[in-house]
Amino acid sequence: MKSETTEKKPSPQIEFRIERYKPGLIDPPRFQSFRVAVDDQMSVLDGLEQIRLRQDAGLMYRHSCHHSACGTCACRINGIERLACTTLILSLNTETVVLEPLHGFPRLGDLAVEMTPFYRDIDPAWSLLTPAESIEGAAEPAADPPLRLEACIECGCCVSSCPAAHRNAEFMGPAALAALHRQMAKVDSPRQRDLLAAAASPRGERLCERALNCSRVCPTDVYPARHIADLRRLVKA
Amino acid sequence: MEHILIIGGGVGGALAHDLTLRGYRVTLVERGELLSGTTGRHHGLLHSGGRYVFHDAETARECYEENRILRHIASEAIEPNGGLFIALNEEDISHQDRFLEGCNAAGIPTAPLSPRQAMSREPALNPALLAAVGVPDAVMDAWRLAMAFFATARANGAAIRTFCEVTDLKMLGRQVAGVRVIDHRSGLSETIGADLVVNAAGPWSGRIAAMAGIGVPIQPGPGVMVAVRGRVTQAVVNRLHPAGEGDIIVPQRRLSVLGTTAWLADDPDQVTAPAEHVARLFSLCAELVPAVAAMAPHAVWSASRPLLQSSQDQDPFAISRTFDCFDHAARDGIEGLVTLIGGKATTMRAMAEQTADLIGRKTGRDIACHTRETILLPYRRYWRGDMGN
Repeated sequence: MKSETTEKKPSPQIEFRIERYKPGLIDPPRFQSFRVAVDDQMSVLDGLEQIRLRQDAGLMYRHSCHHSACGTCACRINGIERLACTTLILSLNTETVVLEPLHGFPRLGDLAVEMTPFYRDIDPAWSLLTPAESIEGAAEPAADPPLRLEACIECGCCVSSCPAAHRNAEFMGPAALAALHRQMAKVDSPRQRDLLAAAASPRGERLCERALNCSRVCPTDVYPARHIADLRRLVKA
Repeated sequence: MEHILIIGGGVGGALAHDLTLRGYRVTLVERGELLSGTTGRHHGLLHSGGRYVFHDAETARECYEENRILRHIASEAIEPNGGLFIALNEEDISHQDRFLEGCNAAGIPTAPLSPRQAMSREPALNPALLAAVGVPDAVMDAWRLAMAFFATARANGAAIRTFCEVTDLKMLGRQVAGVRVIDHRSGLSETIGADLVVNAAGPWSGRIAAMAGIGVPIQPGPGVMVAVRGRVTQAVVNRLHPAGEGDIIVPQRRLSVLGTTAWLADDPDQVTAPAEHVARLFSLCAELVPAVAAMAPHAVWSASRPLLQSSQDQDPFAISRTFDCFDHAARDGIEGLVTLIGGKATTMRAMAEQTADLIGRKTGRDIACHTRETILLPYRRYWRGDMGN
């Protein structure tokens, strides 16, 4: 098979400005710059991998699936919450990529944060599965309709971007409210009432300030603000 | 009970779960985030075993058995939508009888479908398909399924330390007495003593073994995967032929993953995704589902398979995906070290069971395995556990 000839262009050098933090060691946090040779296929996560493997083995960041299924690599990229794995470096159109950990989470070190508070108001038993959207032209299956995993990958982008969550630590936050609303669709009406009561609590939907940042930054199109608006209507009804 | 130290936060999670159920004291160390090496980075196929019936009957049987167990113990992390093997030309058709016999021999149920039936189930398939066979493939969330093992192990007392990299083994003569680690959080080094150390570092296990001055038959086998936006099918789609490049599409959530390529490497870390591999995946997978050809890559990544080294097979697709665990006392005269290598995410529970059985023999304890029937805690409990819930 004849392969296309790829012209070797010189790789542009991009500066990665990373907020470093190691408790008691690099404390308070400060920025450190690294230079990375990049090509048009490289994601921010690929850049982090290169820095860790070639420049600083102690660089801490979370990552696992590398394709927006796990949600671990969320961080603030040039000030906006995004997944490092699906953000192409050159698509940012900057010579400097500024990386900070998610806001409002306890820091583990460097870009890695502790996710425990994220799960405070998400019941571990809430289902991860939901009916899959039907595919155009497909015959309806007689039994066992296809299921898919929930779109929310629990990355924390929405919580980090939410001004109300930063102003009021009691706020359940956009991820938990969206998950709660999704769970309501899967349970019987007494349990729906319990879930709605939680959404209507003083820590619930009333603290949302409708900034809509959550829906803007969500990497998997969950649109948490819509779920919160739906809950608000149900609470008022 | 003995203190077992596990190196590697991949299949090590399943081993930590098994060992804590048997009552051992367990510490697991991982150099980065859990599942950041191989186990979290695959395409998500929960194998029926169908991909292996042509050349690796043992793995095929293991896969189907574990497929059923994982559906039982971790159902929430699995999309149970089946899989299809489709034949697109006369050569594919020529494999069909062997495929059906192989599945039958491995106990994998099959459902032959006419082209019309296959197209009505999955209208995005190549309409030129000549035959299709349904198998019980499924799709797992690579992160959440494996995290359910970690959550359960942690709730049962396992100490799990991330960003904690092994820099050396603590040797007392020819006995491994623990590990030397650097905690990347504090920058400090420390020694963690253990009665037994398990090297479960996957494609990196050769580096750990080298710290004891010995070798293990591991060969990093990287491969490239591409995710596209949009779920092109509900079921997994495989090409009906012996496993090769670009012959599988794994849908998950609202994405579809095109897989895979494979080559043999020396260094599991220096993994890139060559552009020609990406182009090849698009063109080969478009034979299965033509719409793929017009889609843009959403993510491109690679992962290193931990292949068992083999002198005969230089084709990485032909190397067995089975697993093995070695007692280095018997093999190399090094006490206190066990290495677990090979295998795949679908068989991680079985890998853990076999390794824990070996640890039972080494520690003189006869404790039964209970991981087949123990329902795993929801993976979110991994974090909720910190709050005492």
